[in-house]
Amino acid sequence: MRLFTGEGHWSPLVWLALAAGVGFFAWLLWRWGRRTYKAGTEQDMPFLSGERAPEGAHVGAPHLYWGFLQGLRPVLEGLRAFHSGFVGDYVTWMVVLLAVALLVVVLT
Amino acid sequence: MTFGVHAPILAIAVPLLGAFALPVFTKLHRSLRDIWAAAVGAFTCAMVITVAVQVFTSGVQVYTLGAASPTASVVQGGFPIRIVLAVDGMSAFMGLISALVGLASLVYSFGFLKEEQGKTLAMTLFFLLWAGMLGMEYTGDMFNFFVFLEVTSIAACSLVGYRTWESAPVEAAFKTMAMYTVGGLLVLLSIGILYGEYGALNIAYLSSKVVGSQLDKIALGLLLGGLLMKAGAVPAHMWAPDAYGEAPAQAAIVLVANTQASLYGLWRVLFTLFVGVLSAPAVGWLVASLGALTILVAVLAAVTQRDLGRLIAYGAVSQIGYMLLGVGVGLAALSSRQDWGLVAMKGGIFHMLNDAATVGLLMLAAGVVRRATGTKDLASLGGLGHDLKWTSGFFLLGVLALAGIPPLNGFASKFLIYESSFRLSPILAAIAVLGSILLLAVFARAFQGAFLGPRLREARPASPAMLAAMGILAAVILAMGLAPGFFVEHLVGPAAEALWRGRDLYLAAVLGG
Repeated sequence: MRLFTGEGHWSPLVWLALAAGVGFFAWLLWRWGRRTYKAGTEQDMPFLSGERAPEGAHVGAPHLYWGFLQGLRPVLEGLRAFHSGFVGDYVTWMVVLLAVALLVVVLT
Repeated sequence: MTFGVHAPILAIAVPLLGAFALPVFTKLHRSLRDIWAAAVGAFTCAMVITVAVQVFTSGVQVYTLGAASPTASVVQGGFPIRIVLAVDGMSAFMGLISALVGLASLVYSFGFLKEEQGKTLAMTLFFLLWAGMLGMEYTGDMFNFFVFLEVTSIAACSLVGYRTWESAPVEAAFKTMAMYTVGGLLVLLSIGILYGEYGALNIAYLSSKVVGSQLDKIALGLLLGGLLMKAGAVPAHMWAPDAYGEAPAQAAIVLVANTQASLYGLWRVLFTLFVGVLSAPAVGWLVASLGALTILVAVLAAVTQRDLGRLIAYGAVSQIGYMLLGVGVGLAALSSRQDWGLVAMKGGIFHMLNDAATVGLLMLAAGVVRRATGTKDLASLGGLGHDLKWTSGFFLLGVLALAGIPPLNGFASKFLIYESSFRLSPILAAIAVLGSILLLAVFARAFQGAFLGPRLREARPASPAMLAAMGILAAVILAMGLAPGFFVEHLVGPAAEALWRGRDLYLAAVLGG
């Protein structure tokens, strides 16, 4: 079952046993928590940045990581331009890859 | 002589015959076609497993077409003149990947494809692609490798674009065909150079004769360019998101295995054909660096995707990067025979099997989403978990495995890659870890967006055949995750050893002595 890496080993069963222990500890913490939760009240309402979300609201995938994407905008715009969708560009980049491969192989 | 001796050629010939006979059975009755397809699929898998058992228990299997005996690969003088299949541990391992993916795709097809949307055509093309992949993996001959490469190219492009009533798949098929054609020409030119120099096409014979001339190096460079493109390495990866994203789910999963068949071709060229003459550290660094670049670019490109199919496609491209990184590190360490080089090889090769199961599962789940809702646009999806409970579970399992979350299979192979690539360069290892973190973020976003939240629309549940296909892959993922040592010892290890130090055995099996 164990996977030896040369530096050590990885055992998923040991990991699962540890995860079960951590899960049990988390369950104990949960049990010691406050008992004021009531299902079907406004405690069940989604909490979106301090605003009450309209019923049935869904935060769709494109809205997630907004800040992360804004921070990376220059990089992502460059990547978007790189993936132009023109087949001529595809072939051009393949020629670049071929040139690099030939240079490495021929010069070494 | 036992029936098993003929298993290598039957594994290729049966799906080929199955493809061409399928339309005939459709003309007779559709249920006959389905029975025929199931029989061909089952027989092909049985032959692939037979080949693997023979290779893993008895060593390299050689099958010669047209000879008095299938094992008589050379004529007088020690020259292999006939078409020869040569299956070592790596080839057998690749055959098993193709069989797994082919089986899942076929089972899924029964529930997914509609008669009025070209079911017979799609299944015919699938069997052609399957035969081509197995041919690439089992052949011991460069020209036949090219022939099977072209068979897979034509079948793959047709599978991407056969739905001519939609514009995007046709455009994707055109782009893919343009790239495959250029790549195929590079491979053919390279084979022409080798044939001009040595008058032979057999891989083992060529390997024993190459001297490392400038022409040899040009041939190697051309093969690298062509095969890296077909494997989807950055910067020649751009066809892959188009093809994977637009192909129907049952075809997209086979395209992933087809990409891996090209990677196998690259490994065969580097570790068997040219290993005696190439500068292994330099080429290893090239392959590993391209792997790291592929991980980074593909994952960052995935972050911006709004289409579930294209998002998974970029995820699939990033996984190619891990395979290139693992085997590239192994190649860089080959000349010094460092132990961590073999560990890296095992990681890269194990990841091929993991990728086939994991990305395949995600693609099949995306097919269910498209079928259930009519869209793959993440902006308009949500709450599918209410109606697609099994599919949600399978998708989540695929996401966690792809991101390398323990104790799933993706973690096991990536763990081997992280540790060994760190020995070559900590920067490469850091990029690999960063790629996994970003991948988890990207796919967690996709899962939250598509499957969680309130029910936005009614979704049609998946058919039992589609669930069964996903169940097969999920079971493989769990098994590999819980018992990685077993898979590495019995499947991955022999495959990695076949490349790492198996060249002499390969040559001896084909050429004698």
